[in-house]
Amino acid sequence: MDLIASFQRVLGLSLGLVFLAGCGNDPNPRPLRQTRPDGSPWLVRYSGMPDEPRSLDPQVAYDQMSRRILEPVVETLLEYHPFKTDPYEVVPVLLSEMPRRELQADGSVSYLCKLKPGIFFVDDPCFPGGKGRELVAADVYYAFQRICDPKVGCPVFGNLAEYIKGMSQLYEGAKKNGDQLDYSQKLSGLEVIDSHTFKLHLLKPYPQIIYWLAMHFTAPVAREAVDYYDGQPHPDGPGGRERVRPKFAWHPVATGPFVLHEYRPGHLIRLARNERYQTTVFPEGGWTPDREPLLRPFAGKNLPLVDEVLFTVFREELPIVLLSRQGYLDGMGVGKDAFNSFVTPSLKLDQKYASRGMSLEKDVDLGTFYMSLNMQDPVLGPNPKLRQALSCAHDTQAGIDIFRNGVPPVAQQLIAPGIFGFQPGFRNPYGFNLEKARQLMVEAGYPGGRDPKTGRPLELTMDVTATGAQERQVAEFNQRQFQQLGIQVKIVENTFARMLEKEDQGNFQIASGTGWGADYPDPENFFFLFYGKNFPPEGKNISRYRNAEFDRLFEQMATMENSPERLEIVRRMNAILAEDCPVILEMNKAFYVVVQPFAPRTQNNTLLEGGLKYAWIDHPLREQKRRDWNPVPLWPLGAGAVLMIGAVFYSVRWNRRLDV
Amino acid sequence: MNALFDNLWVQNALVLAGVAVWVALLIHGSRSERWRRAWLRLRKDRVGMISGGVIALYLGVGALESFQIPQPTGPSLSVLGWMTRGVPREKSYSAPLARTSLSVVKPEPLKGRHLLGTDALGNDTLVQTLRACRTALAIGGITSLIYIPLGTLLGILAGYYRRWVDDVIQYVYSTLASIPSILLLVSILMALGKGLGTMSIALGVTSWVGLCRLIRGETMRQSERPYVAAARALGQSHWKIVLHHLLPNVLHLVVINFVLGFSGLVLTEAILSYLGVGTPVGTPSWGSMIDGARSEFSREPLVWWNLTAATGALFGLVLSLNLFGDALRRAFDPKKA
Amino acid sequence: MFNYLIRRLLYAIPILLGVMLISFVLSFVVQSPESRARMQLGQRATPKSVEAWLHQRGLDKPRFLNTAKDAPLLDSQFFNHLGKLVTFELGVSDVSGRDLKEVFREGALPSLLITLPAFFVGLALAVSLALYQVFVRHSLADSLGSILAVALMSVPAMVYIIFGQAVIALAFNYFPAFGFDLSGWGTAKFILLPVALMAVMGLGGDVRLFRAIFLEEIAQDYVRTAQAKGVSNARLLFVHVLKNGMIALITLIVAQLPLLVMGSLLVENFFGIPGLGNTLVLAIRQGDHATVFASVYLGAILYLAGLILTDICYALVDPRIRLS
Repeated sequence: MDLIASFQRVLGLSLGLVFLAGCGNDPNPRPLRQTRPDGSPWLVRYSGMPDEPRSLDPQVAYDQMSRRILEPVVETLLEYHPFKTDPYEVVPVLLSEMPRRELQADGSVSYLCKLKPGIFFVDDPCFPGGKGRELVAADVYYAFQRICDPKVGCPVFGNLAEYIKGMSQLYEGAKKNGDQLDYSQKLSGLEVIDSHTFKLHLLKPYPQIIYWLAMHFTAPVAREAVDYYDGQPHPDGPGGRERVRPKFAWHPVATGPFVLHEYRPGHLIRLARNERYQTTVFPEGGWTPDREPLLRPFAGKNLPLVDEVLFTVFREELPIVLLSRQGYLDGMGVGKDAFNSFVTPSLKLDQKYASRGMSLEKDVDLGTFYMSLNMQDPVLGPNPKLRQALSCAHDTQAGIDIFRNGVPPVAQQLIAPGIFGFQPGFRNPYGFNLEKARQLMVEAGYPGGRDPKTGRPLELTMDVTATGAQERQVAEFNQRQFQQLGIQVKIVENTFARMLEKEDQGNFQIASGTGWGADYPDPENFFFLFYGKNFPPEGKNISRYRNAEFDRLFEQMATMENSPERLEIVRRMNAILAEDCPVILEMNKAFYVVVQPFAPRTQNNTLLEGGLKYAWIDHPLREQKRRDWNPVPLWPLGAGAVLMIGAVFYSVRWNRRLDV
Repeated sequence: MNALFDNLWVQNALVLAGVAVWVALLIHGSRSERWRRAWLRLRKDRVGMISGGVIALYLGVGALESFQIPQPTGPSLSVLGWMTRGVPREKSYSAPLARTSLSVVKPEPLKGRHLLGTDALGNDTLVQTLRACRTALAIGGITSLIYIPLGTLLGILAGYYRRWVDDVIQYVYSTLASIPSILLLVSILMALGKGLGTMSIALGVTSWVGLCRLIRGETMRQSERPYVAAARALGQSHWKIVLHHLLPNVLHLVVINFVLGFSGLVLTEAILSYLGVGTPVGTPSWGSMIDGARSEFSREPLVWWNLTAATGALFGLVLSLNLFGDALRRAFDPKKA
Repeated sequence: MFNYLIRRLLYAIPILLGVMLISFVLSFVVQSPESRARMQLGQRATPKSVEAWLHQRGLDKPRFLNTAKDAPLLDSQFFNHLGKLVTFELGVSDVSGRDLKEVFREGALPSLLITLPAFFVGLALAVSLALYQVFVRHSLADSLGSILAVALMSVPAMVYIIFGQAVIALAFNYFPAFGFDLSGWGTAKFILLPVALMAVMGLGGDVRLFRAIFLEEIAQDYVRTAQAKGVSNARLLFVHVLKNGMIALITLIVAQLPLLVMGSLLVENFFGIPGLGNTLVLAIRQGDHATVFASVYLGAILYLAGLILTDICYALVDPRIRLS
């Protein structure tokens, strides 16, 4: 019997351990510090992201996740004003003033830029003595050279090379030299005048260049860092042992308000305050009057406002909702599935959450989603009526109702709201209208969806990337929309990489899930998606749309300043696209965000991924709310104990009966 | 290849072929004394009979979904689809027996009442669950059509001929078995693409190993028995010995292995769906319904009915298969149980 | 015994070769080297850069045998691939471009922190419950237990996890619902719930198996002799049967030990534990073939290691092998 007793002892011990370790359900790792040097609490912001960054090289990164990490670390020459969004305004950051436009003798345009003095790179072993050196114009020059380096593979090289002098020559030269760029070769488009001044020489007028200077592609790079972080083993370890240095793409060295402190791939990313950061302070104004009480106390304060930011990679929606309800996550968008729990019929926050002090804000992203139709496809390409019919058959609103709770607006035009050239009253002439769609099918030569030659239903294939449950449902929904016309739609499921490959090769009929998020607030950044010289793999014209009139208008409007004439051209281009239906427009991205009472949103400019330096946390309030929101009931433990005791009792009794 | 297997009629033909093989096997087996005795024992086994009945029920539902009725207008309907054609389609989620759709912002009156609610696309959950029976049975059926002959034959050959035949077969299955089965499944599915047919092939490739091992061992034991020596002394050909003496004596093991293995196949389908290499879009399956719960559980009010219905149906089938398999084992080998 | 082990080790080599061949063939069916190049080079790939990429990795060589003049016969993709695998050069991930050796090294610890305790807790629970069932054999509790075990086996793994996450972590606030941090004892709160769930998931099958083993043991002659001598039921079970049954058990479970490094696909993914299981789920969803096929190779090695461990155990238990 002593064996049973010892078994019980082990059981008791392990239960005790469970309680010891299980105290607290805080899922976040411990912060770097508890207090600041001056004794005030160390402020940590807990954030999340749905995927991990693909590269943190400022000249390479292009996806939203990479930008979210990169932009707080790598500061840009210019930046969007955090509060001015109508219209968007760009302000200097690393530059001491806005670039000055100069007309050269030969009629070409140059921009004169001056760097602020006294900006230092973060301390890093790549610099002599480990101390960050001052930022100089040569770092900007080096960054532009890297854009032209085929080995670096800058995704926007084509966009910039078209307008900046000498970039194409540098690139072509390197191409001939087996992709080796000779960095001693001169880039004529960027002239270094003195240590803090440089000039940008353009091939033709391009007002949007200002926006490019607000993106991380043109952010200065220290050559020491690129040379040092080569991904090779070096004798850096203690006692001169070999150790592999990370690649530059995973170890940015820059001048931003934060430093990448820790990166655990697929799991979490930790940013910590850059102790030497002095470049910017919280703006003194520019916000709307209703935000005055919240923002006024921060005016003129040193940035960043928090000391540490922790990004956890959430690949599922469920944990985001769970952790937000428990107060362990500081900001989140309301996912489609959690929407109903947060929102009441009048689109106000549900009382259950409002009473906790949460609030609801709607965000509209500068982006448009659509399904691409392949213009080089022998069935879809030559038959505009068929494309129009497909567009008319798609009940986009129903899809938005099912999958996005009816929040985002149906896209009536390519250009997203809030951008110059967006026409508020414009209706897509081939929006959902089933009767019209059936009529158009007759005109397209497929009455009732049947091919009169064969007498059988027309068959189309739709390429999707369907990995999650929701994507599968969306695919099935889209399939049903088209099948209302009597045609057969076959769904082909692809991995993300395979889908990109098909888009590059034009190897599809209907590609669902395509779209565009604005790089900068200008119609050119949308219309270039359908420019005839912009075919994949170099460009983004996935539909392979080509229209001489459209191309001519595009070339004309691309280099113009905003004006009534430009608006008129945009209007005409819009009409051409609407009539030709190279895509089936779906929606503009919009979503609700639940704001925690302890993490008020200090800025919500969707173009400003680097806005983290303005973010703030009410630490004492968060501590209090976390305690309130996480009660621990004890009755289930009691019930479990009773059950276990019962089982032991039963077995002992049975044993006695056997022994007797 | 996928196109071929995704054709409903090809699948049906394969399943019918599978059924035919099983019926033939049962008739073949029922001639032997051992099978007759097992049947008598099984009939007295209440748990076995009940679980067998439940399995038959699932088979019936699967059959209803398998056969198509051509419609004068539009695509053809399955028998089950025809029987449930009165069930209206809603726009999106609705709770069991609710009168309005599950939306706080825009609740709309439903066209009908749904015993188990509706899913994201407004399909009746009960109907979808029943339709998914066919998917589970088709996967199990086609897979067994691949792995049972392969495993049985190779097992008997290895056990009977021994020496180099045994070595080769052992080498092949040891190699396959040394790759963790879920990884092997995933890599085969990645190579061949998603689909019911390819999934069955992948499952077939990973499933025959266990059966082959079992049969090989049993054949070795049987080969030592005097009746094999006697047959050999009488000058019977190897082929005849294998077919007429060894096969009937290991067949009961095949049947038990099949029933228990079937439950494993159904559970594996659920995991593969979760990993994103499951059934293709538009094919209802319990696995993808359970997979959907990942996001449905972050809703409020909670969408629990899809998960519950799929889990319930899956649980019922797997439990019955397990219990029936146990009952079969007891019936064939009463000493051990 | 030494000779015996050497023989077993040598037997593993052809099997490993077979695994390499299978994974090599499958990986080429899956995706041509050209499309892998395009995937890595991104949207800016040109025919020239694809060619350079292929040449750099030796993927422009013949598949199996190099029949070109003055070229070594074995200078082909397959044999070079083989050579790299033998030296554990697993290559880089197709999606993130990270060195897979590093990925696996980082993921092993979190995976083991989940699977190892789960394995032993599950084992202890299963042995206790199986013993309990044998202890009260042929009672109502025994038959109920048997049915319960089958029922536990029939629930898909995801359902356990969803239940555990939604109810135990969220409704009761006992444990973090998600997350992981390597911080000494602080890690415990992250692994307790996943460990418990994993232990319960495998319970049904294990209890059934162990019960059968113990029942077989209890039918042996020595048990009857001991019973006749008046040894108590409890002592008989916990001392004699357990001891002899454990020998059968250990040889059964040792084979599974090395594979624990691979982690658990579902549990790690649901709870956000950055182990190998999670890495693999992600690789499967993203179509990262390099990672999947490197895992196939790794899994095979671990499986074979398990087999050899089992052989050692057999040898230790069975004097006939030990002395040969």
